[in-house]
Amino acid sequence: MLNMKNISRIYRSDTIQTHALRDFNLEVKEGEFVAVTGPSGSGKSTFLNVAGLLDSFDEGSYELDGVNIKGLNDDELSRLRNEKIGFIFQNYNLIPDFNLFDNIDMPLRYRGFNAAERKRRITHALEQVGLASRANYLPSQLSGGQQQRVAIARALAGEPKILLADEPTGNLDSLMARQVMELLHSLNEAGSTIIMVTHDPEQARAVGRNVQVIDGQITDHSVYAPSHDNTSIVVSV
Amino acid sequence: MEMFNYYIKLSVRNLIRNRLFFILMISTLAVGVGVFLANIAIIKSMSADPIPHKSDKIFNVSLNVWPLDNSDAELLEIMRYDDAMHILKNDIATHTMVHYQSQVYTRDINSKNLTRHQAVVRATTPEFFPLTDAPFAFGGVWQQDYAKQIVIGDTLNQQVFGGGNSVGKVLEIDGKPFEIVGVLKPWELKPLFYNASFGQKFAKTDDIYAPIETALDSEWAIALRSMSSERINSVSDNRGKNGFFIQAFVQLENQQQKNAMQEYIDNYSQYRKAQGEFLRANDNRLLDVNQWLTHQKVVDERMLAFALASSLFLAVCIFNASSLLLARYHSARFETGLRRAVGARIKDVFYQGVVESMLIGLCCAVLTLIFGWLFLQISITLFPALQQTSDIDITLILMGIGIALITSFISMLYPLIRSCRTPLSTTLK
Repeated sequence: MLNMKNISRIYRSDTIQTHALRDFNLEVKEGEFVAVTGPSGSGKSTFLNVAGLLDSFDEGSYELDGVNIKGLNDDELSRLRNEKIGFIFQNYNLIPDFNLFDNIDMPLRYRGFNAAERKRRITHALEQVGLASRANYLPSQLSGGQQQRVAIARALAGEPKILLADEPTGNLDSLMARQVMELLHSLNEAGSTIIMVTHDPEQARAVGRNVQVIDGQITDHSVYAPSHDNTSIVVSV
Repeated sequence: MEMFNYYIKLSVRNLIRNRLFFILMISTLAVGVGVFLANIAIIKSMSADPIPHKSDKIFNVSLNVWPLDNSDAELLEIMRYDDAMHILKNDIATHTMVHYQSQVYTRDINSKNLTRHQAVVRATTPEFFPLTDAPFAFGGVWQQDYAKQIVIGDTLNQQVFGGGNSVGKVLEIDGKPFEIVGVLKPWELKPLFYNASFGQKFAKTDDIYAPIETALDSEWAIALRSMSSERINSVSDNRGKNGFFIQAFVQLENQQQKNAMQEYIDNYSQYRKAQGEFLRANDNRLLDVNQWLTHQKVVDERMLAFALASSLFLAVCIFNASSLLLARYHSARFETGLRRAVGARIKDVFYQGVVESMLIGLCCAVLTLIFGWLFLQISITLFPALQQTSDIDITLILMGIGIALITSFISMLYPLIRSCRTPLSTTLK
């Protein structure tokens, strides 16, 4: 599904070069749920940006669902983002004066679906996150957890190959965070491939695979027997 | 088409959501375009060809009549009665007319109302009408040079007789009766080319057209220029004297006719020089209508300077609108970034911006027309001489809409390019 080999990402200013990612190697198979952890500034977000085609990379190769990313132009990258990737952001990133329906409608518009198909997908996505009855609500009328579920619905509506979540529970209290995590787990169980950046070690342990990033490189690679009750068993390192 | 409608919907939403901002921005552009449009309206009227189908065939005849050999002197466009009569005698031109302007007071001789109307008189010759294509509504031109007959314009006909066929009616002019033999249809010439050197380039067409001999005999006032010390006792005494007050125009169909006419006036000039007059070297000119209007500086240089100033003002307005939009796009980076993240191409964001600029341009166009009209009214109030040159016709309305759309697009272009180039990874968390 996702295959990065020797990826480097260097940010350059007039006097400083910062290696955000160096010789970064990661392969994620279809149906996996991968948690990416690491301290602040370690390169987690850069990895997610590169993986989500929001940022470019300087060296290495990256294949997403069999497509080699290197050399693709903006049209091709945009189409890949639209068709294969669903984003879930820490800040939800919903447009405040669009209702839920219109927020979820946005990526489908760029896909070129007709109105009937868009409506079908939006309704289904809202049902998946338990907000089907609130399609006409504005984001401000929802709690933080509900807003994040709308963001998940927006990501799901395009039926992407992979979901990229950047600290999806970072702005939520523990109860709402738990609800969102349960939703992500259920989506993974239903077959979705998910990569989640998180600071929370418990959340990381609760998913199938944990990748730790320090100084732009993967330093620890653990596979867990996932358990939703926070008791995980390390089966390989 | 579906995406176009979507962009329209998004643009309308943006306009409503940021209405105060857009009112400010649209007003900024509309003021700039409005001032520019008002200025263009005036210049367009000033520089218009008043008789486009034959402006290259009608020529003003200017003789070199300065008594001194002064090469720096401007051409004198008026001539003496005797010079004018000589020009009139030519058998070269298709039409030849001579004329001067006067003012009289007039009333319907049969009216019980003794109020007199001030009227502008064109003292001229019969070929004035075919040369200028003056359209007759009723009747025709006088048949005798000294006839007490006149042709009147539509405005005076409406004013004195309430319109209709007034042929055969009698006007009292400065106490004497004159029979109306012709009535003109409503008629405009902008600029009034035959009147251009009398300081009334944008006056309305005349109220009364009278035979030049009759006008002289009637002692109707003239603006006279004299270059001798001889005594001129009255208006009619100008025949054979050195009073300069008549202008001549001819209609020449081709270069051959023009050459012949040039030779005719040069020969006359030489003849006068032999008599001790016209001492300046031959500089007799035949200027066609547009050359004549340019020579008369019909487009005021101050207006051209104002046009330059209004263009610069428009540029300042565009810069201001652009900087406002730059700030708005900066604050809207999140939404642009989000759209790009979920699959919008750069060109999608750009198209959306173009549609938004067109919507702003349309709003701006409406305001532009209102502001343009207002500025014209202010100009007319401050400078009444612009009264006749201040029309916003359909061409200018379309031009105003076009300029509003273009300036709106230009204002949005740089902010839009900046917006499209914003790195995605910096706008979303």
